[in-house]
Amino acid sequence: MTPELSVHDLSAGYGGATVLRGVSLRVPAGSVVCVMGRNGAGKTTLLRALMGVLPKQGRVELGGQDITAWPGHRIRAAGMAWVPQDDAVFPGLTVRQHLEIGRRGGEGDGIATAADLFPILGERLDQEAQTLSGGERKMLGIAQALVSGPRVMLMDEPTEGVAPLVVEQLVSAISAAATRTAVVLVEQNVDTAVALGSDAYVLEHGAVVEQGPITELHRNGVLERRLAL
Amino acid sequence: MTLAAAFGFLPTDSFNVVALIAVFVLIAVGLHLTFGLLDVVNLAHGEFLLIGAYTTYQVQESTGSVVLGMLLGPVVAALVGLAVERGILRFLYRRPLDSLLATFGLAVIIRQVVQLLYSANPRLVDDPIGGSFTVAGLNVPWWRLVVVLIAAAVVAAVAILFARTRFGLEARATVRNPTLAETSGINTAAVRATLFAVGAGVAGLAGAVLAPLNTLDPQYGLLFLVNSFLVVILGGKGSLRGLVVAAVVLGGSLAILQFVISTAVAQIVVLVIAVAGVRVRPVLARMIAERRERRGAVPS
Repeated sequence: MTPELSVHDLSAGYGGATVLRGVSLRVPAGSVVCVMGRNGAGKTTLLRALMGVLPKQGRVELGGQDITAWPGHRIRAAGMAWVPQDDAVFPGLTVRQHLEIGRRGGEGDGIATAADLFPILGERLDQEAQTLSGGERKMLGIAQALVSGPRVMLMDEPTEGVAPLVVEQLVSAISAAATRTAVVLVEQNVDTAVALGSDAYVLEHGAVVEQGPITELHRNGVLERRLAL
Repeated sequence: MTLAAAFGFLPTDSFNVVALIAVFVLIAVGLHLTFGLLDVVNLAHGEFLLIGAYTTYQVQESTGSVVLGMLLGPVVAALVGLAVERGILRFLYRRPLDSLLATFGLAVIIRQVVQLLYSANPRLVDDPIGGSFTVAGLNVPWWRLVVVLIAAAVVAAVAILFARTRFGLEARATVRNPTLAETSGINTAAVRATLFAVGAGVAGLAGAVLAPLNTLDPQYGLLFLVNSFLVVILGGKGSLRGLVVAAVVLGGSLAILQFVISTAVAQIVVLVIAVAGVRVRPVLARMIAERRERRGAVPS
């Protein structure tokens, strides 16, 4: 069966510095694939390269279609959405306007979808997004990606730096999203990753050093050892 | 008592104050798009006015219709702007020094091309209406009134474009967070190209409608360049409301000081006002924000 997202021998970096070296991974439909690794391992670079923000070599296929050379807006239109770790709002634009932008090309009422997923956003529709709390911004990032009905969502540490109560809401939303879309989840917290993920890839120095079912990697202590927990 | 008499030191043609403010608005709105939003230090802004003005002149000479020329001026300027953005500037975003040098070179080339085509001899564009009328003791030339109305219409159109349209929303998103905008599905390259072309087109419109008020020569655009930048910088980059306020302050000061002192000294004073204004603006903004915060605070 063709995976939703298939990455072959991907290399990418910033300027002359290569950060990712020959990364390959497969993301089947309806799965949550976790990408793990220490700080600087190349996790965020991987997502940025997949979204067309960084120049890259290798091959990226979405639903069997080669999207390697596509610009970001075309990748998004083809069904891959990105929830960045930081800097995920447009200063001066309201929550409603973020959702309108996110819904571009999607079907249905994006605002109702977002408010169903995160009721607090429904109460903050006319508030400027940069005035939201950190947790609410994470919610908005997820909602903005989801309202377009993506085939694959790339999520970069969505639970990092937010209160435990908000983490619960975010984990619940990601679980719900995973019933409709494949997810590539960059996550440092092993418990959260194990709770959500089906498979994991561990990166070190920009290369995949471990891969397999996440419960197995966890049971064998591979994740803990690789992440030096 | 007439309005003119109320401002005793001003002569009866003091409608020129309003007209000069409108000129400041018109010349700065295009730069608001290219420099204020896209962050391109566009030293060729005056040359887009030049293109609009000379297109108007050429059409007037060829067809006898000034109005047709004024309609085509912004179109030609927008098309040149689009070609410049696609051919040069799209490679230079986030490289301010490079874009400054590129637009400086472009300005020189456009001026030289105009000089080759039309020589350095002064050219005249006819006033499409002519004449004036008197109201409340003020002498109001018809064409200057039209310029004021066009400036108001341009500001309103740009404000509506950004506040009410899908393109405006996507343009604001592109300007404020380009990476997120691109990955949210917005074709940011197309948005930037459109913004630059619209900015060049508005500059071309300014050049066209101001042409009957000036003598044209290849240096025509330089007349407006410095004041355009002063208005945009004083108003705060990216703020249309600030631009209008800055145009009122600078255009009004220049117009009044020209009457009571001299044009050269007035321009120096305007420059000093702009520099002082840029220094004072953050302090004023902070005071206003604090006052709003105090008003919004719930008493304990």
